[in-house]
Amino acid sequence: MRASSLLSESLAVLGKELTSEVRSRVALNAIGLFGITTLVVVAYQIGPYQIQEKDRPYLLSALLWVILFFAATSGLARVFVKEEDAHTAKTLRLAARPLAVFAGKYLFNLILLAALFTLIVPLYCALMGYEVRGLAGLALVLAAGAVALSASSTIVAAIISRASGSTTLFAILSVPLVLPLLVMLIQGTRAAAGSVELAAVLPALQGIVSLGGALLIVSVFLFPVVWHE
Amino acid sequence: MAAVSVEFTKVAKRFGTRTVLAAVSGALRPGSVLVVAGPNGAGKSTLLNLLAGVLRPSRGEVSHRRGGADLPRSEWCEHLGMASPDMAVYEELSALENLRFFGRLRGHATSDAAITALLETLGLPAREQRRAVGTYSSGMKQRVKLAQAVLHEPAVLLLDEPSSNLDAAGHDAVAGLVARFRPLAAVAVATNDPREIAWGDARLELAL
Repeated sequence: MRASSLLSESLAVLGKELTSEVRSRVALNAIGLFGITTLVVVAYQIGPYQIQEKDRPYLLSALLWVILFFAATSGLARVFVKEEDAHTAKTLRLAARPLAVFAGKYLFNLILLAALFTLIVPLYCALMGYEVRGLAGLALVLAAGAVALSASSTIVAAIISRASGSTTLFAILSVPLVLPLLVMLIQGTRAAAGSVELAAVLPALQGIVSLGGALLIVSVFLFPVVWHE
Repeated sequence: MAAVSVEFTKVAKRFGTRTVLAAVSGALRPGSVLVVAGPNGAGKSTLLNLLAGVLRPSRGEVSHRRGGADLPRSEWCEHLGMASPDMAVYEELSALENLRFFGRLRGHATSDAAITALLETLGLPAREQRRAVGTYSSGMKQRVKLAQAVLHEPAVLLLDEPSSNLDAAGHDAVAGLVARFRPLAAVAVATNDPREIAWGDARLELAL
């Protein structure tokens, strides 16, 4: 019987990821650079006044998620590839249970996404003049989105790490998984921007939570096969 | 330390159309050292990976047993220690942090003092143990890898070219490690070094 608990192992993996990231800053730099650059380009070329009033709710919510998704993709894709590149994957594979590895990496991606959202969303609102009436609704949509995106990113990152680590493959595999999710996130963000009532975001939120939950559960079952085969 | 043995029967491994290993049989038993020798490309590392469960055989069978019963994969890894050239520890972490991490993953409560002592036994002085592994020489990294393999007192120890990148003192440290594990653990060493071949109680010679 294993002496360590799954929680303890997962937290050990998370702690290792955070320590490595703080020292190397590879993912943080990739996400930050991509997020800020895209945001500045969008703000400079489009800005708050280039979009007609009737189009603003649709375009601004969609643009926000385009920036967030692709910035996230640039950093989250490397979570397993870096283990293969550094030849630490085999060492980790022999020492930790697959579920602990998945949980630790998933939580790390969740923290990266939270950092990205915290950095980009307020800047985007300020630079694009995006007024969000329902801040609580937006926070809920962002939180649910982070949980779901982290699940899809983590499992796709694991798959591509076993396929020579192509980050192009990450984008190709991610798109069909996250397309419906992104549509719901955009709808939820648009609803939160237009109303202070939480009820306005509930239909989108239910979809995001359902899809995110399904992605997470499937990933938990799929990961041991991906990790060991 | 639980008595764990590994038996492999007519094990073969193909990568695509290329056969790397053809119908090899043998066993690792507690209290003995099996030396796996043979020219480059004969399949020494592949055999150790098959025994570790990292690779699946194309044909034949590898069984991990404790007290006559098969060990499930989830438990097998707890009893296995392995060091090979295609394994590494984390370069951003220090040697001490790496071993704390692997100890925690394996539920092996090891104090910093015990980790320091183990690394010193393998020839990594205490003053070097808090530096990032990325700043180490190849030989120092090899010492950390070996420490990672034995930190949890494994019942089965698989060492692939354990003295690679090591100086004479490092080679002696590995010899000491093998001598320490020989009485209770099942040890396999893949090597072409005549000094390491001499450690074996049994020898498996692989051919191209």
